[in-house]
Amino acid sequence: MRADLSRLTALATLLRRLAGMPDYAAYVEHARRCHPDAPLLSERDFFRDYLRARYADGPSRCC
Amino acid sequence: MQFLLWVAVALAGAAGWAVLALTRGEPVSAAWLVVAAVCSYLVAYRFYSRFIAERALGLDPRRATPAERLGNGRDFVPTQKWVLFGHHFAAIAGAGPLVGPVLAAQFGYLPGTLWIVVGVVLAGAVQDFVILVASMRRDGMSLGRMARQELGPFAGVLTMIAILSIMVILLAVLALIVVKSLAESPWGVFTILCTIPIAILMGFWMERWRPGRTLEASVVGVLLLLVALVAGRYVAESATLAPLFTRTGEELAWGLAAYGFIASVLPVWMLLCPRDYLSTFMKIGTVTLLAIGLLIVRPALHLPAVTQFVDGSGPVFAGALFPFCFITIACGAISGFHALVASGTTPKMVRRETDARLIGYGGMLMESFVAVMAMAAAASLEPGTYFAMNAPLGTLGGSVESAATVIRGWGFSFSPDQFQALTASVGEQTLLSRTGGAATLAVGMAQIFSRAFGGGLVGLWYHFAIMFEALFILTTLDAGTRVGRFMLQETLGLVWKPLGRTSWYPSSIFASLLIVAAWGWFLVQGVRDPNGGINSLWPLFGISNQLLATVALCVATTVLVKGGRARLAWLTLAPLAWLLVITNTAGWQKIFSPDPKLGFLALARATEAKLAAGELTAKVAQQVVFNARLDAALAGIFLVVTALVVLASAREWWRVLAGRRPVIDTETPFVETAYAS
Repeated sequence: MRADLSRLTALATLLRRLAGMPDYAAYVEHARRCHPDAPLLSERDFFRDYLRARYADGPSRCC
Repeated sequence: MQFLLWVAVALAGAAGWAVLALTRGEPVSAAWLVVAAVCSYLVAYRFYSRFIAERALGLDPRRATPAERLGNGRDFVPTQKWVLFGHHFAAIAGAGPLVGPVLAAQFGYLPGTLWIVVGVVLAGAVQDFVILVASMRRDGMSLGRMARQELGPFAGVLTMIAILSIMVILLAVLALIVVKSLAESPWGVFTILCTIPIAILMGFWMERWRPGRTLEASVVGVLLLLVALVAGRYVAESATLAPLFTRTGEELAWGLAAYGFIASVLPVWMLLCPRDYLSTFMKIGTVTLLAIGLLIVRPALHLPAVTQFVDGSGPVFAGALFPFCFITIACGAISGFHALVASGTTPKMVRRETDARLIGYGGMLMESFVAVMAMAAAASLEPGTYFAMNAPLGTLGGSVESAATVIRGWGFSFSPDQFQALTASVGEQTLLSRTGGAATLAVGMAQIFSRAFGGGLVGLWYHFAIMFEALFILTTLDAGTRVGRFMLQETLGLVWKPLGRTSWYPSSIFASLLIVAAWGWFLVQGVRDPNGGINSLWPLFGISNQLLATVALCVATTVLVKGGRARLAWLTLAPLAWLLVITNTAGWQKIFSPDPKLGFLALARATEAKLAAGELTAKVAQQVVFNARLDAALAGIFLVVTALVVLASAREWWRVLAGRRPVIDTETPFVETAYAS
């Protein structure tokens, strides 16, 4: 049961990365490790921030 | 053992090519096409890309990538290489590799396939790979900024102009493809319209109701899309609803322009981002499905290997095999636009330097494979069907009967009854002259899918394929208008500061309007064009895309020369030289050819003569003349801009090689990776 669940989580992460979706868990892990003193963004704020970074400049799509 | 394996792969590839090239008279199985292409890719990847990686670029597994050094959990994220491969592939492959090969099939399947495979191995994949690595070694710098840094401010400005103008042409031609496949098609229009509320629903889901739950929202979105697809049939069959969604080309063109404008000023989360996710999943899913379908069905290629139209008399687009086969197929062989993607989000996500080989070179090979599959799908149609769908209405006449006469005149068999039956089976009222490639590909895919996966639901598969193409074209319209807007605002900001503020609403709206007006203009003219529009717009798009590739290859060569690898500069110089030859020949012919079908200026003169003879009304004639001259001017600007970039680059190479300019290393200094090897 637990193995199935972790496999499902891994699939979800794969799909997210594939489509270029934000990965909140990865961000939290990164922030805890590298900036333990800075305040953590909420999931929604992180999402907004992520979109800004991703679509701010340059084309991300081709023809 | 390894050695024997590679000999076997090479032999299998050679056998594939031999069958394709030597078989005449009887249809060849599409499997040979796939075998020839895939074996060529494998050999090229194993040997050529390795040579580039080790000798020219010196990829170093110990060198930390920007994703590692600057990792922020947001855009700089170290990503597993196969996942990034898929992500990068989804970002570079769009309608381009699907449409180009379908159009080039008018020369037969062989010339196009050869160019797709040879072009990608020696040119396209090399460009993508070198630019990806150059950007990765400069913290993910964009192509425009690299051009400015390596070639000076003048070349930097020229590159920006090139990018902006290719964007306008690209958006116009992509929109035209959608219009051509949706005109007078209630099923298609309904399904595509549904994608808008579905995307907005997803947007609210993941931003308002369940923040960050992107995957969950996407699953719901995909399911709703499939519901809309099935519902489309009932709309098309309903006497009350069908007329509401039956729209002419011109109405759709105005609708798309309005959509492009509104979508590009809405917040990203509301429409662009959810649509982006939807089209990525649909794209990867459908491409995989098509590969499986081709393997199961292995359709026969009914189109001849080479047709009589290599001399330039073809109905789909004007111009002879050289140079127009190489212009018509840009994406799939080499696409300058990729340089923008390879210097955008991808380089910030590479985990280890050596992964760049799979992602840059391998990703482009994968796109090329999509182009080969598109070619196989198109070539699996009967030649009569192919030409009935792709020749302009002006050539075919208004009815299936008149089309039959014309097509038989070219020496292909054509049965009006069978064509009508095909039209009915895909749930359309007409398939005649559905130029632009999308509908042809959809028919090819529908036949493969319905044979592979049973059910005989040709209509459903056809509209599935149309939806799949329109979905990501609409995403590109939105994203492209946005990018164009940012670039325009940056330029306008030089004139008057407030216009440069991208967060200032009036400025955004003004710049968006200008961009939409620019591509909308070409779109509406293309729809009104009696020759179908694709005829003049697609070559213009091909030329501009290849010219962007020459700019990218100039930057790539400069990076190699300055990095002390001038002896290996032929890796990028050879494709650069080839591109200069084909784009200049094609550009010159498009502007100055005395044949009014081919040359823009000749078309203007011929139309004026017709006006003087009283064969045309003044309004129609003036429009054609104006557009022909505009197209000629645009082609001229493309050629001049590129020539200037090439000259600026050549001067830079000369200075560096002659020792007149100290070589400044612009790469980010080496930092050792913390990853265990």
